[in-house]
Amino acid sequence: MDLSLILEIDDLTVGATTPGAAPILDHISFRLSTSEIFGIYGESGAGKTVLSRALANWLPESLQYRAGRVAFAGHDILGAGAREVRVGRDIAYIGSKPQSALDPTVPVGVQIAEKLHSVRPEWNGRECRDRVMQLLGEVRIPSPKERYWDYPSKFSGGMMQRAMIVDAICAEPAVLIADNVTQPLDVTIAAQIVALLHDLCTRHKMATIYLSSSLPTLGQFGDRTAVLYQGRFVEQQPFDELLASPQSDYTRKAIASVPRMWETAEGPLARRQAQGEAPLMKVENVHRTYRARKRGTFNSHSNIQAVRGVTLDIMPRENFGIVGESGCGKSTLTRLLAWLETPDSGSIVLNGTSLGALSSRELIRKRNEFQLLLQDPYNALPPRTTVGRMIEESLLIRGSIKRADLRTRVIAEMAEVGLAAELYDQLPNALSTGERQRISIARALILDPKLLILDETLSALDQREQGRLIELFSKLQEKNDLTYVFISHDLAMVRKVCTRIAVMYLGEMVEIADNHDLFFDPQHPYTKALLSAAPTLEQKPFDPSDFLLEGEPPSPIDIPAGCSFASRCPKAFGRCRMETPALVEHSPGRFAACHLLDGDQAQAAA
Amino acid sequence: MLILEFLVKRIAQGLLIVFITSLIIFTLLRVVPGDPVRLIVGGMAPPDVVEKVATKMGLRDPIIVQYGRYMSGLLQGDLGQSYLRPRSGMIAAGGQYVDPTKSDMALVTDLILERLPFTLQLGGMALLFALLISFPVGIAGGLHQHRWQNALAFGMQSLFVSIPNFWLAIVLILFLSIKLKLLPALGYQGFSYVILPALVLAVEIAPFIIRTLTTSLGEVMQAPFIDEARVRGLSRRRIVYSHALRNAAVPLVNLLGIQLSTLIGGVLVIEYIFDYPGLGNLTVVSVVGRDFPVIQGIAITTSAVFVFINIIVDLVAYLIDPRVEI
Repeated sequence: MDLSLILEIDDLTVGATTPGAAPILDHISFRLSTSEIFGIYGESGAGKTVLSRALANWLPESLQYRAGRVAFAGHDILGAGAREVRVGRDIAYIGSKPQSALDPTVPVGVQIAEKLHSVRPEWNGRECRDRVMQLLGEVRIPSPKERYWDYPSKFSGGMMQRAMIVDAICAEPAVLIADNVTQPLDVTIAAQIVALLHDLCTRHKMATIYLSSSLPTLGQFGDRTAVLYQGRFVEQQPFDELLASPQSDYTRKAIASVPRMWETAEGPLARRQAQGEAPLMKVENVHRTYRARKRGTFNSHSNIQAVRGVTLDIMPRENFGIVGESGCGKSTLTRLLAWLETPDSGSIVLNGTSLGALSSRELIRKRNEFQLLLQDPYNALPPRTTVGRMIEESLLIRGSIKRADLRTRVIAEMAEVGLAAELYDQLPNALSTGERQRISIARALILDPKLLILDETLSALDQREQGRLIELFSKLQEKNDLTYVFISHDLAMVRKVCTRIAVMYLGEMVEIADNHDLFFDPQHPYTKALLSAAPTLEQKPFDPSDFLLEGEPPSPIDIPAGCSFASRCPKAFGRCRMETPALVEHSPGRFAACHLLDGDQAQAAA
Repeated sequence: MLILEFLVKRIAQGLLIVFITSLIIFTLLRVVPGDPVRLIVGGMAPPDVVEKVATKMGLRDPIIVQYGRYMSGLLQGDLGQSYLRPRSGMIAAGGQYVDPTKSDMALVTDLILERLPFTLQLGGMALLFALLISFPVGIAGGLHQHRWQNALAFGMQSLFVSIPNFWLAIVLILFLSIKLKLLPALGYQGFSYVILPALVLAVEIAPFIIRTLTTSLGEVMQAPFIDEARVRGLSRRRIVYSHALRNAAVPLVNLLGIQLSTLIGGVLVIEYIFDYPGLGNLTVVSVVGRDFPVIQGIAITTSAVFVFINIIVDLVAYLIDPRVEI
C-alpha cells in the first residue's frame, strides 16, 4: 500500500432516508495522499456540502449512506474502522458559516481548547491552552493571548474564520475538509484566508479537500480539481489542464460563466450626454454618525462614524457604482441617498431641490423621483399581499390615479419588467428570486422615478438571471431616461454595468473614476488591493501579491489619525499617518484620495 | 468593572422601587376603609375615645406627615411597632384594651425577622422541588422533540398548570397526612413540616419551568453550533450538558426571576392553609386586623427581596451569556 495514501473514497452514494428518492451523491470515488490539496468545484445544489459532511461521517438525520466506502488510512470509517478514526482529531472540518459555528456564551479560545482536550485527552489543559494561543498567533490574529478570552460576538467574520481554522488544525488532523470557507467573506479577507490555508496545509502536511463554488478560488491552489455536478464527478484533472481543456460540457459552461473583468469587450459604458447638464443628484459632504452606549461606563457613548464627508455628483442617465467591503458605510450611504435617514451634516440635492428643506408632505411627492431597490427580495415583499396590490400600493398612497385605471396601469408596468399578467392576483410565495426582484422593480417604476438606487439588488441572483436583469435595466434606461446608482461589493457586476465607480473605505470615498480608468489604471492602493483580491481566471494588469492586504479595516469607532487606509496600506509612509489626504481630481474626471499621487505631482513639477 | 457598575446602578434603582412601594402601600392603607383604631379599642368604645386614641397614635395627621415620620424611623432601621401584637406574643383581642402607643407592643422588625427565615425556607424548598421535577422532564422533552418524552413534558405541564393550589393542598393533607400519616401538615415543629407546602408551591411553578426548558432547549439543539460541535469532535454528553443547556438556561433564569412573584403570591394562600408560621400567614392576620406597621414592614421586606433576587437573576444571566445587556 502506498504509505502516503490517506483517504480512499469508493463508490460513495448518499441519499435521503425516504426510499426511492434520487441519490444526492452518486458513486463518488477518489484518492487523497498526505499533503495533497484536492479542489472540488460545484455550484450551489451540486452536493458539495453533503459530500463534505459524508466524508466526516456527519450526515444530517434526513440523509443516509446507501453504498460505498470511506477509508481513512485503511480504516473504513463508516464500518469497522469507526473506532480507530476520530472526527475532529484525524479528520477536521471547516464550514462556511464561522459566525454561528461556536457557542456564543463561551470564549472562543476556551472552546477551541475544550475541543482539543476532548479529542486529545493525553494533552493536559495547560498544554491545550498554550497550543491554541500559539496557533491563534500563527493564523495572524492580533494579540492572541487577549483574543483567546473574547466571545464569538466580538470576532469579525474573517477573524472568526481564522479561529475556526485553528479549531480544525489544532489536533493535527491528517485530513482537512474546507467547505466553501471564503464564501461569506469580503474579497480582501478571503484572499488572506486562502493564502493562509494554503500555507498551513503545506506546513502541517495536511491532506486538504477544498470545496468551493468559485472556480477562481480553486485556481489559487492550482492542484488536482474535480467538478461535481448533480452529485457526480464529471471530471478530475489538474486545475490548469481543466481550464485549458475541459472534458465535459458542464465544465466548459462553468468556466465560461465566470465573470471577466479585464478580458471583456467593453459594453455601452458611456452615458448619453447632453450639453450643459447639471447633476441629477448632488451629494455634498454628508456625514452620519451613530451613537452606541459604551459598555462598562455609566453614561458615555462611542461614536460610530459610518459615513464621513462623502461628496458625489450623479449625472443624469448615468450608471453610478459604489463599491466597498462590509462595514465601509455603503448601507448607511444608501439609506442617506434614499433619504430613509437624514445626514448629520451636509446636504443632498435632487434635481435642484435640497431634500432636507422639504416638508414631509412635499417629500412624499418628491419620493416619486427616487426609489430604492433592496437586496433581499424575500424580505422586501409582504408575503400575504397579491402581486398587483403590492405594485399599486404606492399609487394608492398618493391617490393620484382612478381605481378603474389602476389595473391596466399595473399590468402594463408588469409587462414592461417581464412579469406575466396572470401574476396580478397571485401571492408571491411561489415566485423565484428573479421574479420577486422584478416585482420590486415594477413597484419602483410605477412612480416614474428619475433615479433608482439599487442596494446589492443583483447579488442574490444567479449569473443568468443577473444578465437578464442587467439587460432589462438598460432597456428601461433607454426608454425612461433613468439614472441608476448601484451599491455593490461585486466588482465583476460593477465592471459590467457601471459607467462611473466610486470606491468606499471606512466611510469615505477613496477613488472615483470612469469604469475603464478604475479597472485598468487604479490610483488608490485600496482600489488596487480590491482588484487584486477579486477572484478571476484572468491575468491581472498588476501583480496581486504586491497588494495582498494584511489585517482588517480599523473599527469605525476608533478611526486612526491620518489616512484611514494607512494601517493596511503596503505603500504607507510617514505623512499618511499624520495627515488625511483629500479627494482631489488628479486628472479630468478622476478623483483619488492618496498622498502618493501628490508625490507624483510633486515629482512631475520638480 | 462592568459588574460593579451594574450593581451600583441596580441597587440605586432597587432602593427607588422599594421607596415607591412603601409610599403606595402606606397611602393605600390609609385611604381604603377600615379604621385600625376601631379594631383596637373595640366595637363598644364611644367615638370620642376612638378619636383620642387615633390622634395620640398620629393617625389623624396628614398622610404625608405620617409618612415622613415613618420614613425617618425606617432610615434608622425602625419599622415601628405592631398595633395588635404585644411583646408577649399574644394577639390583643377586641375587648381587652392594650395601648398601642406604649412600648410593650412587639417591634415589627422582630416580627418579620422571626418569620422571614420560615418563608425563605419554604420558598427555597419549593424552588428546589420545582427544579427537581422540571429538569429531567424538561431536558428529556427538549432533547427528543418528536418522541414520547416531549409528550410527557407537555402533558405534565398541562396537568400541573390546571391544578388549583388550595385544592391540591387540601387533597395532599387528606391523603398524605391524615390517611397515610406520612407527613405532618399543620403548624411547624420541624423540617418535615415544610415538605407538603413546598410540594404544593412546586407544582404551581413547575409547569412554567418545564415549558421554557423544553422550548428553549429544543431551539438550541437546532442551532448550527450544536450541529457543528459533533464534527469538531465533542461528545454528545459534552454538547448537551456544557453547551446546549448553558444556552437554554438564559431564558430559564429570566423566567425564574418572574416566577418569584407567583411564589410570593402562592405563599400567602399556602401558608394560611397549612398554618405555616411564615410571612404569608403574618400578612393575612395583619391585613384582617388592620395592623398598618406590620403590613408596611412586610411590603417593604418582600419588595426588597424581590429586587434583590432580580438583581441576582440578571447577574447570573449575564455571567452565562455575556451578550445580555445589563
